[in-house]
Amino acid sequence: MDPDILVRGLTAGSLYALVAVSFNILYRPTNVFNFAQGELVMLGAMLFAAGKSTVGLPWPLALLATLAAVGTLGLAEEFIAVAPILARSKTGTGWVITTLAISLIVSNLVGWIWGPDPILVKPPAPLSLDTFEFAGLRLNSYVIALAALTIALVALIERAYRTLQGKAVLAVAEDREAALLRGINPARLSRWSFFLGGAFAGLTGILAAPILYASTSMGPALLLKGFAAAAVGSIGNNRGALIAGYLIGITEAVGASLLSPGYQEAVVFLVVLTVLLMRPQGLFGLATTRTV
Amino acid sequence: MLIVDSVDAGYGHVGVLEAVSLCVQPGSIVALVGRNGAGKSTLLRVISGLIAPTKGGIRFEGLDIAGKRPHTIVNCGLLHVAEGRRIFRNQTVADNLELGLYGLTISREEYRRRLEPVYSMFPILRERRDQLAGALSGGQQQMLAIAQAVIRGPKLLMLDEPSLGLAPILVDQVFDAIVSLRRSGVAILLVEQMVERALEISDYCYVLQSGRMTADGAARDMARSDALRTAYMGDHDSGSN
Repeated sequence: MDPDILVRGLTAGSLYALVAVSFNILYRPTNVFNFAQGELVMLGAMLFAAGKSTVGLPWPLALLATLAAVGTLGLAEEFIAVAPILARSKTGTGWVITTLAISLIVSNLVGWIWGPDPILVKPPAPLSLDTFEFAGLRLNSYVIALAALTIALVALIERAYRTLQGKAVLAVAEDREAALLRGINPARLSRWSFFLGGAFAGLTGILAAPILYASTSMGPALLLKGFAAAAVGSIGNNRGALIAGYLIGITEAVGASLLSPGYQEAVVFLVVLTVLLMRPQGLFGLATTRTV
Repeated sequence: MLIVDSVDAGYGHVGVLEAVSLCVQPGSIVALVGRNGAGKSTLLRVISGLIAPTKGGIRFEGLDIAGKRPHTIVNCGLLHVAEGRRIFRNQTVADNLELGLYGLTISREEYRRRLEPVYSMFPILRERRDQLAGALSGGQQQMLAIAQAVIRGPKLLMLDEPSLGLAPILVDQVFDAIVSLRRSGVAILLVEQMVERALEISDYCYVLQSGRMTADGAARDMARSDALRTAYMGDHDSGSN
């Protein structure tokens, strides 16, 4: 078997899990899937790359600037593309088109500014992509750090849902009207979620940049597989997204090594389709019931 | 303290309420009765800001609240316990109570101080505080829904069918709670299908029929009035209830 399987599976899996979590952050208070999420990830990678190499910022500063910028774009998206739709109807689905429009605008703007060439981003100092052997498997320090950080971030997000604001988000997700009657303002939580979900997408892009290179083409692939991870792990369930992310990442790596890299996508979506046909609510979701 | 002045409201282009007026005095219990579909819940939803009135005015303690957003109205001290035990089932009882205080800046001590009277009103909630609200029985869920509103210290509490689907012993508990709330100075607007019991504890009563107020008067007098019988039985058909 291909000795790089673990590296590839863990790397891709971490990124899919992170994209899936960023989907969930936005989904919970709004019931909206942000189809621009993949492009926000891409924008994060590009801004960070530009900030570091073009402007010459030290990486912590480039990181903060990127998070703030992508978060703000998420917020702007909420104002332009989501809030007006939800104001008209809580169950309207116009956001499918408007968020897709934002996705195309971001993608085209970035392509226009930076061009199609991928930008190389090196991992920060002690970490590197140099592989070493460990128990017959090849690993590198960046991948280990990435997986550890992914797990830590999911734990952090889950903790955030234990705060009062987090509980309010869950309350809105469960019964928006009941939340309104308890003094919760869903519009405010929705804005915060878009800001934080945007920043989280930006962070995902920064983490992806050393592996995938920063380029306009990274958006769509991450969008699709991140969405698949969110669906398989049950929409809204972050622990589910984490496990499903790795499941998909490793399936992809195994598929690529057993068949050929050309078939890896087919293998992934075959698995995703099979899971969702058997459990439409995902692996970790309860089929929800509401008793009256 | 609450004055609803000839309000029209509905859903989309369907009008439900027509020129509805109502008044709640401080510290009183006002019953709002009428058949299913008369518009009682719609009226409560208009007052709490879930639906904006298309005409008319609503004032609460002198403040114009017509068309204001629900969280603004909640912060004025006007709380609405909706029909159907709308609690957050996937969260614990304690979390539900904490959410009742959302948006208020209060200390940990103050939180515990406010919890005390609520737990002594409904002791079962203290026992089951760490369980998911969805695991409570129907009656306990109703108590939690009321407790969620009470913990915020409302000036006026609107209760929509609090006894619906409860066992008789729990109905007694809920009615006792309403009476003791009034004793502590909370005004109550009560929508209730157990009309006789509602009138027993109420000071005043309004009868809503097909979206219009057809009668009102002291609860004592209304219990014997024809207006009430007409509202429930209709003039011709054998009707529901």
